[in-house]
Amino acid sequence: MNLQRILVVAQKEAREILRDRIYFALAFLLPVVLMLVFGYGMTQEVQNVPIAIIDHDRSALSRDYAHRFIDSRYFEFKGYVNSVKSAELLLLDGKVRAVIVLPEYFQERLVSGLPVDIQTLLDGTFTFRLRTIDGYIQAINGAANAETQARYLVRRAGLSSSRAQTLLQPLQVQTRYLYNQELREIWSVAPALIMFILTLTSPLLMALSVVREKETGTIYNIYSSTITRGEYLAGKLLPNVVVSFINGMVLILLTVFYFGAPLKGDVVFFLVAMFIYVIWATSLGLLISVIVKTQIAAILITVILAMVLVMQFSGMMIPVSSMSDTNNMIAHSMAPMHFNNIVTQTFLKGGGLISSWRDLVTLIGFMFGFLALGYLLFHKQSKS
Amino acid sequence: MGQASLVSDSSRHSIVEVSEFRKSYRKQLAVDGVNIAVRRGELYGLLGPDGAGKSSLMKAIAGVMTFDSGNIDVFGTRLNSEAASETIKDLIGFMPQGLGLNLYPDLSVEENINFFARLRLVDEQELLERKQRLLAMTRLEKFRQRPMKQLSGGMKQKLGLICTLIHQPKLLILDEPTTGVDPVSRRDFWTILATLLHEQQITALVTTAYMDEASRFHHVSLMYAGQILAEGKPDQICAMIPGTTLMVQTDEQAKAIQLLRQHFSQVQPDGKWIRLFVDDMDADTAIDRVRTLLSALKLEAVQKVDTELEDAFVGLLKRQALATVKDDAKVESADLNFAELIARNSDFVAIETCELTKDFGEFRAVDSVSLRVQEGKIFGLLGANGAGKTTVIKILTGIMPPTKGSGSIAGADIARLGPSIKQRIGYMSQQFSLYMDLTVIENIMLYAGIYGLRAKEARERCHWIGEMAGLSGDIRERTSNLPVGMRQRLALGCALVHRPRVLFLDEPTSGIDPVGRQHFWELLFELSRSEGVTILLTTHYMSEAEHCDHLGLMHAGKLVADASPEALKREVENEAGQLLEIAVSDADSAIQRLTEIGFKNSEMYGQHIHLMSKTPQQDAYRIREELNGLQVSSVRILDLSMDDVFVYKIRALERLADTGLKRMDR
Repeated sequence: MNLQRILVVAQKEAREILRDRIYFALAFLLPVVLMLVFGYGMTQEVQNVPIAIIDHDRSALSRDYAHRFIDSRYFEFKGYVNSVKSAELLLLDGKVRAVIVLPEYFQERLVSGLPVDIQTLLDGTFTFRLRTIDGYIQAINGAANAETQARYLVRRAGLSSSRAQTLLQPLQVQTRYLYNQELREIWSVAPALIMFILTLTSPLLMALSVVREKETGTIYNIYSSTITRGEYLAGKLLPNVVVSFINGMVLILLTVFYFGAPLKGDVVFFLVAMFIYVIWATSLGLLISVIVKTQIAAILITVILAMVLVMQFSGMMIPVSSMSDTNNMIAHSMAPMHFNNIVTQTFLKGGGLISSWRDLVTLIGFMFGFLALGYLLFHKQSKS
Repeated sequence: MGQASLVSDSSRHSIVEVSEFRKSYRKQLAVDGVNIAVRRGELYGLLGPDGAGKSSLMKAIAGVMTFDSGNIDVFGTRLNSEAASETIKDLIGFMPQGLGLNLYPDLSVEENINFFARLRLVDEQELLERKQRLLAMTRLEKFRQRPMKQLSGGMKQKLGLICTLIHQPKLLILDEPTTGVDPVSRRDFWTILATLLHEQQITALVTTAYMDEASRFHHVSLMYAGQILAEGKPDQICAMIPGTTLMVQTDEQAKAIQLLRQHFSQVQPDGKWIRLFVDDMDADTAIDRVRTLLSALKLEAVQKVDTELEDAFVGLLKRQALATVKDDAKVESADLNFAELIARNSDFVAIETCELTKDFGEFRAVDSVSLRVQEGKIFGLLGANGAGKTTVIKILTGIMPPTKGSGSIAGADIARLGPSIKQRIGYMSQQFSLYMDLTVIENIMLYAGIYGLRAKEARERCHWIGEMAGLSGDIRERTSNLPVGMRQRLALGCALVHRPRVLFLDEPTSGIDPVGRQHFWELLFELSRSEGVTILLTTHYMSEAEHCDHLGLMHAGKLVADASPEALKREVENEAGQLLEIAVSDADSAIQRLTEIGFKNSEMYGQHIHLMSKTPQQDAYRIREELNGLQVSSVRILDLSMDDVFVYKIRALERLADTGLKRMDR
């Protein structure tokens, strides 16, 4: 290993990253943009669902019931409509996502103790979060039922209203959300996004920087010179790892200070783990660059690979424990899952080396394995 | 001093020895059993069209590509593994194909050089000295800080050479270093290379697609379709085909061509002239024969000219029947109807532009170009990459509006090119405009559809194109399976599907082998002479320029010359004189002596010396006298080539610009 040759390649690489605008944007802008876009996109609460109400009864009780929806912050009331037909038109145009139909004799039946059927129409094409909306409606309806029953007991048995409540609902579930007390989705999403974005951008940068040399022909300068494979790869990895690590730190800052997620665990431990993960991810890019010839192919393969790794096997979307046995095994044999473990451990559970040393050791193994593979597969001779 | 011993030494040692080299890509055989030997100190040329297998061979010799079978020995090391290849890399400098493509666009000139040097662990002090010297030699000194991407083509190529030379390799491997570079830069390049080779005893292996560069090499191999057709000294190769090349001038060119074609296989129109090769005859017999054959016609002149490598190449291909037989036969059977050629002397102006200007931001790509092309003429637009040729064509075809100026095609303003005018224009772009996955007929029908031809008419045109391009038998063939020459004729056919009256061709022949180029030109002649189609084309083959009726020379966006090839040559002859070629064994001392006695413009050209002289007869005599002790074997007066004309014109312009600058400095 000759240090000068490594540094010459690294310096050239760094200059190109800094001077080529597109490359610069890809290196430093893309991760931040991805973080912001996904950070918002994946955590938005469902609020202000547009709703319309058909009140066939137009009584005091039916109006009371309707106001439970109208006054809710989860729904945005668009107005009363007269017929199911015109309600359907609104649904068709996408002007409302849900319609509540209150039947005739609503008040009469309710007062005389008969059941009342309330119909809800939901826009089935809007499957995304449909269940959430349905849940809201059920919850509001449930609250209305409980109140009606309580009122009945108060009136009939002369109980106090709190006593009536206890009698009606003797079993109460008390949930405490550990590690994320306020159940803020962004707390768990933002740290996982660090893993996701590094899995995508680090290999992308590396693969592009090698394949670009293949595409233009500058790779022949390397092939035809006395620099060894190891020196070239080291010189090439060095600046790309540094860029990815800087990106990782920017992402941590965004997660903590912009999205407000807490970093409860050992920061130094996390940085070390991230550094190793970034080297692994960069060598993944090197492997991709060995098999493809064009930048387009490099981009496609990297993006698809990163998506599959993160979505299916990292545990970010689907918990590893609820995967099928095969997928569970695959997930364990992939680096992203181990880094994802470290991410959740350190960010939310306040872990560090003691809790996550197994994942760290596995990551180190992956890093050396991929580096060795890249070294073995890279040749200073082309086949065509 | 040690000159003689060096020569005998070199004859014993081959630096590169290739035997039975084979390389294929998937199923495609690229190189098929090639043998070459390059001796120490030699400037070895590998000539051939695109796809002949030159690059594969070069990469394998440089140790940067694997191959199927055969042996390659470089500096006595057999390159049979990646590890073995590593051992020679210290001694070689390799410049891959593609102008400036092996350089880093975002690094400055100096940073590029430093990168290459430090990669090779060149000592910093030495780097400083070599850099200084090479930058001065290539006149790139003042561009040190400029990013490489902002250099012109010629400058990129010189920078590429510096970067390849900076570690002082013993063997230089340059793959098409002159492709796409303007003639002036090309000449500079050869001069620099010749000087360095000589000073540092470097051996160089160079490929080129330009046949006219062959005489610059000590030794050449002609490659075609993965094989070596011939090898030897350039003049030896020309002499391999016994016979005489003649130029015939007559008023009834078309008739004469038809008559001559019945007896000779290599007959081509060449501007006003006809160029033909007469097999196995000496000059006098050949001239007599041609005069007898054409006795019915009025002959202006019949004269012998030197057989050029391109003639020899075509001759060799025909003899060895290597030129894909079907490629050949078809064109003959399509039999151009030269008998029906009508001498059109129309004064109708088909293309006219006035002060055409195009700016791209700060950059002026086309600068006040005014030109006129008469109906039925072939107009050649010459110039380096980036001189503005393509932009002119794009403006004329209505693809791009001009910034300033006006133009008209067949009398209609280009600013208002309506559909009726577009129907009269055919355009064939620089890149292939064909769909490779479609068959020949599908391609033609597609274009017919685009131009809205009716089914019956489309079928007729399809038939006509098949006949014209010699493709009738391959009409159901996938386009990707056709040889490059045939593809090019198909592309021409597609541009002609709607019977345009004006045809624009942007570098129609680049990368095609000489035989293919000849066929293509025959088609163009037929179109212009018998159908009266006006053709405007661009090319960077100077030898093709001579075929045109009229030439426009572009330099930095300006049209700097506008005349017939002959007029241009006469003009330069009047200004600068004729070309003298001196064959002498000790060229270095000879050049030194010549410079001393006032021939400042003498330069090395292959193994000979070239210089311009206004009084060639007297000067030839005087040179013989002056170089008496240096074994002068011949001093010949040569005709100027288009290349000479181009270089002279551009240099004169550059000098003008320089003095202008100096005046401004004061």
